[in-house]
Amino acid sequence: MAKIKLVSLLSLVGLLGALGYGSVGRSQAVQPSVQLATEPPISQLLPFEADAEQLQKPVQLRLQALDATGKPLQNANIQIKLLTPPENPWLPTDFPIVEGTKLLDLAAIATQGQLQFQQMLPIRGEYQLQVEVTPTVANAFSPFQQTLTLPVAENSIKYRNFAILVVILLGVGFGGGWVIGGKQELQPGEIAPQRVRLLLSGTIVVAIAALLVVNISAELSHSHEHSHEHKHGDEAIAALPSSLNTQGLEVKLLGHHHATVGEPAELVVQAIDTKAGKPATDVVFDIKAKSLEAGWVAFAHQATPNNQGEFTWQQQFFDGAPHQVEVEVAPKPNAARQFAPFKVAQEIEVEGIEPPLRSRLLGLGYFVSILLVGLGLGLWVQQRRQPRSQLDSKALN
Amino acid sequence: MRTASMTSGSLQQQAVRWTLSVPVQATLFTSLCALTLWTVYFSTYPAAHNQTHSLRHHTLSVSCH
Repeated sequence: MAKIKLVSLLSLVGLLGALGYGSVGRSQAVQPSVQLATEPPISQLLPFEADAEQLQKPVQLRLQALDATGKPLQNANIQIKLLTPPENPWLPTDFPIVEGTKLLDLAAIATQGQLQFQQMLPIRGEYQLQVEVTPTVANAFSPFQQTLTLPVAENSIKYRNFAILVVILLGVGFGGGWVIGGKQELQPGEIAPQRVRLLLSGTIVVAIAALLVVNISAELSHSHEHSHEHKHGDEAIAALPSSLNTQGLEVKLLGHHHATVGEPAELVVQAIDTKAGKPATDVVFDIKAKSLEAGWVAFAHQATPNNQGEFTWQQQFFDGAPHQVEVEVAPKPNAARQFAPFKVAQEIEVEGIEPPLRSRLLGLGYFVSILLVGLGLGLWVQQRRQPRSQLDSKALN
Repeated sequence: MRTASMTSGSLQQQAVRWTLSVPVQATLFTSLCALTLWTVYFSTYPAAHNQTHSLRHHTLSVSCH
């Protein structure tokens, strides 16, 4: 009996193994695919942290197009669209305007089927990376599309700060309920009981102090910030031009100079061989989009120009602050023409959009609800104490 | 005359009682706290926004920009 059971078990394992092998083999044989690798690994991805103590690095994404046998696809044109996580109506992120929008759109020639770029991911949630792979040589392989997902966890600091705020709100609410729900007796000549007056006075003093600190320090930092902004802007414009004619090459950085949060801006870098009067294709564009205020890199990519000597991409500037797009032009390693690398840059003014009133009112609603829970608890405890103390005083009399 | 002063006195007492009633006091307290929370976390007034920018970006459920 035991032998029969063992044989049945082994047969089942064998059958499942054969089925599994078959399914893996079939999926590899039928469809080419795109593999995504990130640095840091996907499980450790965190969103952009505004005003972070340390300079943040963007996420490095590496896409590899593979043929049906799992080998890298040669001479592919890879187009990617990176979409931000969908709108979260009940728990908005700190950049609600960015939710459910296009963050990046670019197409690149990948001779080894590989595309690499760096992108700062602004919010938590599941990003969608839509990839379209087409051959650069006609009929080399069948074009295909694939959608990859990129889950990004929320920064734990936000949970910690929210928990601290909940404790504070519960405490403040409870304290308020305790005082308001206490014995309300008017002393001769008083228009309000002492305890209520103390509570109101105390809360008003805290509110006034908070508003004073906020407004005075805001005034001080505002003037400080303005001088910094001007300094950055002047340096960037003075140091790097947006077009340059040097060493037989004319390079121009074209496209939108003004962007809006939530909408992708289109940018173009173009290289022309001035001696031959033709587009230059033997160069490499090392692109970096940086925040001018904090210096972090929002997007970086090493691109090669198309037949028109151009590289075009769309990117969203999710932080409403001035940015700079900087392109270093260098010769391709094996190109006949070699020259000293040089840079062009363009300052991009980014218009920030205030978050929708709905999401702000929702947040306030959560906070006030927590405060009301504390207030209700305070009132309830006082209500339970009072009959007892009244009974005690009666018993003493 | 006497009736008029008694009426105004009772009205004043009623107003004081109403002002000091638990629901009114609780509403005043909650409103003041809500206003402070709005200024710190949600106001778009540039001075308030800039000063609490980091706090807003580091607290769950708060939208900044």
